[in-house]
Amino acid sequence: MNKLLLFGSSVALLHPLALAQNPEETGNRNTDIYKSVVRIESATQVADYRTPWNSGRFGGGTGSGFMIGPNQFLTNAHVVSNANRVLITRRGSAKKHAARVVHIAHDCDLALLEVEDDAPFEGLHYLNFGEVPALESQVRVIGYPVGGDRISVTRGVVSRIDFRPYSHSRVDSHLVVQIDAAINPGNSGGPVLQDGKVVGVAFQGLRQADNTGYMIPTPVIQRFLRDIGDGRYDKYVDLGITEFALFNPAMRKALQVPENGLGVMVASVLPTGPCDGVMEPGDVLLSIDNNPVDNAGNIEVEGEKVVLHEVVERKFAGDNVKLEFLRRGEKKDVTVTLKAFPHSRIYAVRYGDRPRFVFFAGLVFQPLDFNLYSAYGFDSPRVRKIFQNYVRDAIFKEREDVVVLTRVESDRLTSFITGFNGTVVDEINGTRVKDLRHAHELLYAADQPEFITIKCNGVARPIVIPSTEVESANKRIMQQNGIFRSHYLGDSQPKS
Amino acid sequence: MFPPRPLFCCLSLLLVVGGLPAPAHAAVKAKGLLRINTTTQTYNVAQPWELNQPQRRRGLGAILEDGNILTTGEMAANSTYIEFESADGAHTVPAEVIAIDYEANLALLAPEKGANREWIDKLGTLGINGPAKIDDKVNIWQLEDNGDAIRTEGTVRSVDLLSTFASGHYFLCYEVKASMQSASSSYTLPVTRDGKLLGILASYNSKDQISDVVAPDILKRFLEDIRDGRHEGFPSLGIATVLTEDPQFRKWLGLGDEQGGLYVSRVLPGSGADESGLKKGDVLLTVNGHSIDRRGYYEDPTYGRLVWSHLVRGSGQVGDKLALLIMRDGKEQQLEAVLQRPPDHLIPSHMYDKAPPYLIKGGLVFQELNRPYLEAFGKEWRSRAPLDLLDALNNPEDYEEGRKRLVFLSRVIRTPATIGYDQVNNLIVTEANGQKVTDMKSLAAALTNPKNGLHSIRIDDIPYVIYLDPEASDLVDKALLKRGLPALQRLP
Repeated sequence: MNKLLLFGSSVALLHPLALAQNPEETGNRNTDIYKSVVRIESATQVADYRTPWNSGRFGGGTGSGFMIGPNQFLTNAHVVSNANRVLITRRGSAKKHAARVVHIAHDCDLALLEVEDDAPFEGLHYLNFGEVPALESQVRVIGYPVGGDRISVTRGVVSRIDFRPYSHSRVDSHLVVQIDAAINPGNSGGPVLQDGKVVGVAFQGLRQADNTGYMIPTPVIQRFLRDIGDGRYDKYVDLGITEFALFNPAMRKALQVPENGLGVMVASVLPTGPCDGVMEPGDVLLSIDNNPVDNAGNIEVEGEKVVLHEVVERKFAGDNVKLEFLRRGEKKDVTVTLKAFPHSRIYAVRYGDRPRFVFFAGLVFQPLDFNLYSAYGFDSPRVRKIFQNYVRDAIFKEREDVVVLTRVESDRLTSFITGFNGTVVDEINGTRVKDLRHAHELLYAADQPEFITIKCNGVARPIVIPSTEVESANKRIMQQNGIFRSHYLGDSQPKS
Repeated sequence: MFPPRPLFCCLSLLLVVGGLPAPAHAAVKAKGLLRINTTTQTYNVAQPWELNQPQRRRGLGAILEDGNILTTGEMAANSTYIEFESADGAHTVPAEVIAIDYEANLALLAPEKGANREWIDKLGTLGINGPAKIDDKVNIWQLEDNGDAIRTEGTVRSVDLLSTFASGHYFLCYEVKASMQSASSSYTLPVTRDGKLLGILASYNSKDQISDVVAPDILKRFLEDIRDGRHEGFPSLGIATVLTEDPQFRKWLGLGDEQGGLYVSRVLPGSGADESGLKKGDVLLTVNGHSIDRRGYYEDPTYGRLVWSHLVRGSGQVGDKLALLIMRDGKEQQLEAVLQRPPDHLIPSHMYDKAPPYLIKGGLVFQELNRPYLEAFGKEWRSRAPLDLLDALNNPEDYEEGRKRLVFLSRVIRTPATIGYDQVNNLIVTEANGQKVTDMKSLAAALTNPKNGLHSIRIDDIPYVIYLDPEASDLVDKALLKRGLPALQRLP
């Protein structure tokens, strides 16, 4: 199993979709490949977190994709994120075929599409997957980048294989292959081929360098395809620990690590994560799934040093991981079951979500997440600190949402409510706020006291709103400001 | 103590060396005026065992009737050498500081004992003038390179409480409109009216041509305070307040439309307010019989509308009693506070003339947090300084428990003892060798006592505990001393 972790050697076996029968290869093989690379057009609607009641910004863009099975088109998540309408065009055809997103994985920037009517795509070649290409080997990037309407092919050489951040979500890092062919807007989602097989999906470039492109290699693609095998994308899982390199002799002595002993220190354990209650700070992680962990937290896979979390990269929610660690000189063996950790998505860019908010007497409340943070650029150190420590300090246990007072609309009721923008709401009428839904309940409760008080973190005085004024103020201010709904609390399901 | 107000704060006067050629005019006769040359040195924030490069500045002082010389606190702060110089540069004499007040921005200097001050005594003296009114004409004095005096006439435009030096301390100032030129010795300038000293100019904004002049009321308080040979400093009540303009907030507090009042949002523990029984949530209605309006102003008999804190900081001395009328739970109540110096802050707002405490162990550098440390992160320090330390500055009450000062691991010098800790910096220290760290002294004491053959230092972020080998770190310490570190610690 371990051998498959990184440079998967028999990836096709893992992949039910890739086994689908290919039409016979006839005629020019390249032409067949070109035919299977499609142009994807999406019409997007991007929410505006500063005016969460508004529709947001309408726009669109194009990308590439390719057929990997019957009515299965693979592309990047960012090509079809926030899309209201997706159209697929075949090479050499003017017809735009309506398509829909079947699965979208923002944490690895991949998506699977299907067209409403797949008849026009019948008989096309389904592209097969290859392995991770070797350094210095040549690859071809095929797609529909800017600069023309027809298909484009560029060649490049594999120049680096590394773990790098995926810019789409901002917080996820996976294996990335760097090539010296430029990847331009429109290339995204297109296949990168070697010997007629797909070895990656072109997905991002480097702003400050020309002729540097990045592709998502097959291990990441295969994981995505396997994950959706059950009809649902379950996302990546996390071990939920932070390590600190064990280089210091005194630290090694304190943790009773023998001289030249392996292992990395566990510096923190994510509350409610898979290792919560199993490992504790100061434990020394010795091995993961029988891979010895070195002092910097790396393991060796097929001669390559990779971070220990790579073991978890290939796994799924519900899978087990064997951990061996040292606690106060005593060796321990445990098996933990991996699970998704939704709270850490507070730091990821969110797509396709309608922003949640509550409007109340000229005040706008919104839950803190990365989108909100970047929309407002909060500068209060208190908000920054709560955001930064939301996961580390398990703030989510007490407050699922960090509710922020983001706006105070102008009105005679709010003229003197200054200095509250961009602060975290702690209490409403003396009750600690757990999430946005709770805030809404507290603000719009049937039997209100004479004065509704709102206490914000780090602000010297409470906000006071006489309850008799709320209804008229809501009506007046919403009309003045074109706010046509008082709240959106999300779908009835808890956020994922 | 009150919300910061927009200051025309070009921090200090243009420091122009060399001055402009003097226009052809008959020299103006100046009285009681001399040059002050100072050399100042501050401590290096990153390496607190070192001083930064010395800076020189030139300013003017006013010779008072008792022969001492008055100037701004800014002129004398952090000075390593001060001298007086005659206008023509013919005489100099080393000077010493009698008293300095960083908050009010005033300093009283005198020639060194036993030094020849005859030439000073021939320059005449300046008595201090009474209060000025809006539209009064005043004179601002400068000295040219050639020794001539320049007199610029200005007009008092407004009277307000301003913070001219140590941040967050507001004192009575006149804002004087005058168009001044650059001249040598322009750092600090005496302002006169009718041949008497009215104030000391602390800053000049050349764009608006407005200068901030520390008012004679404050000059007199300062001189009164030090008359007994002891400088106590200006008193403080020790509260933070919020305006009560918001009608909804007023209703909730039970304030009537005719009433003013300030909402007390924080009472510093151990302050005069604390001891008087004042509590957070009270509304301050009157101070010594003066009604405070909803924006915090009262009617001053001399100056008209002034911020209430002048009644504390600018009108009283330490030990004076202050009558407070407050509203608590909808009822009025009378309290009496004794004015005191403000209690010691967890995070000092300035470090003038103070050597910052530090401690080095094996290459770990510990400091006590102060505001200048954070300000050293540059103009954008409020967003660029380390988040945890900024939070402590903004919310000291969350960190005060069990602490006198906030000790933090400021950086790690790369030594054999600190392998693996290179990237650790700016983390708050909570414990050392099992002992709670309440200030630098307690850290020093704890580090004399390693447990189980190791030092352990607990910090508030990854890796949470740092271990040091006592022998290895002692060796490193010795080596550091050999290689130019003056001392391993400076305790307060």
